[in-house]
Amino acid sequence: MSRFSIFVVAALVFLPPQHARAAEAVITNQLGDSVSILNTATMTVAAEIKIGGKPAGVALSYDKSHAYVTAPDSGELAEVDLKQNVVARRIKLGSGPLGVAAHPTKPEVYVADWYVHKIIVIDTVALKPVAEVSVGQSPSGLAVTPDGKLLLSADRDSNAVSIIDIETRTVTATVPVGERPFGLTVDRTGHRAYTANVGSNDVTVVDIASRAVVGTATVGRRPYAVALAQGRAFVTDQNAGTISVFDTASFKLTDTIEACDHPEGIQANAYESALFIACWGDDVVLRLDAATLEITARANVGGGPRAFGRFLR
Amino acid sequence: MLKRMALAILLLGLAPTLTVAHGPTRQKVTETIEINAPPEKVWAVIGNFQDMSWHPAFTKTEGTGANDQGATRKLTLASGATIDEVLTVFNAEGRTYSYEISKVDVKVVPVTNYSSRISVTSAGDKSTVEWRGAFYRGYVNNDPPPELSDEAAVKAITGVYKDGLAALKKKVEAGG
Repeated sequence: MSRFSIFVVAALVFLPPQHARAAEAVITNQLGDSVSILNTATMTVAAEIKIGGKPAGVALSYDKSHAYVTAPDSGELAEVDLKQNVVARRIKLGSGPLGVAAHPTKPEVYVADWYVHKIIVIDTVALKPVAEVSVGQSPSGLAVTPDGKLLLSADRDSNAVSIIDIETRTVTATVPVGERPFGLTVDRTGHRAYTANVGSNDVTVVDIASRAVVGTATVGRRPYAVALAQGRAFVTDQNAGTISVFDTASFKLTDTIEACDHPEGIQANAYESALFIACWGDDVVLRLDAATLEITARANVGGGPRAFGRFLR
Repeated sequence: MLKRMALAILLLGLAPTLTVAHGPTRQKVTETIEINAPPEKVWAVIGNFQDMSWHPAFTKTEGTGANDQGATRKLTLASGATIDEVLTVFNAEGRTYSYEISKVDVKVVPVTNYSSRISVTSAGDKSTVEWRGAFYRGYVNNDPPPELSDEAAVKAITGVYKDGLAALKKKVEAGG
């Protein structure tokens, strides 16, 4: 090997992973039993990977090299290698794994089991459960604070959020929120959590440190998940087919955007310039401009996309 | 089998939260039909939330609230069973409305958390009617009995849509 090619290989190895490939969305297609890897710059699908078990939840490893996908019908967690675009490993977990979140700095993911009311902690090096934490009824959306200290769980049928200390694996607080919280999003600074309350058609805003509700915003019918960009919250209203936009300081609704049939998973890109939305009813992913609130692109994906979790890399 | 079914029905009857709870995978059905008539004519037949007489499965529609958001209707089937529904979106200019089932026995329609949209669009000098449904199966836990499975839910709703759209086409093309 020449000195030059050694240099090239070394450069490739040491490049941060986000520079190695284009920005992508990992979209779970629940009815299609697959994951679509969507290039979010060109809005074209680079690969569709067969998963099985009706995949719904998705999280990306701390280094963004792998995706962890829940398959509630088969009770599994699938690990997708995002370099090769293949399922690397899979494990049987329990009766209804749904929500999933990854630790920001270490190889650990958390899976909410809808039927047994527990969070399962997975060591992703061994891909084995290492602990369980009992929470409220039917835990759904999960999110980890950016400092890696706290895990939050939207306990759908308890109308509450559980706050879990990750180091000690214990629930340190339970905060009552609206009815049937499903998606849960923590802001970039780790100060606040937002729950989409399917039953009460609103979003609860929780101050994480004081464990107190600081606001409630009324949104459209059957909200699924929340994304944050440029001081605003964007909420997918499943049954209304709209995106409700509210100001995160005043909690006042500012806009309602006609989007698609059953908008579900939603996330803002790293620059907070655009949001990506999975449309379950139309089998597409939309790109929404966070400033103009215009839908600027749409891409066809697999059947019944849900993308429940943080799916952008 | 019977024992299991009885248990399923017992469980469904006991838990008060089950109208909101559901299984893990939402199902969808989309049925469309082309009708040889302009969209105004088709909308004149289906564009009243309080009148489902165009659908052969229903013998009676009773309700309140006209076509306002939040209006309700009770559909009666030939068997005497009923389905309660609520209007969530009504758009006369766009010739579309959306509604949800607020109450039904899963023995009558094996679905939970059902929402739907029906719309008429222009297709040259003809119309296309699209009827979409989103719902979960009738059994909210794992390992559903066959009559409350995902497949049973999709089959039931597909049948309702196909029968309704075929009857609508016949009625409109015969002159409304």
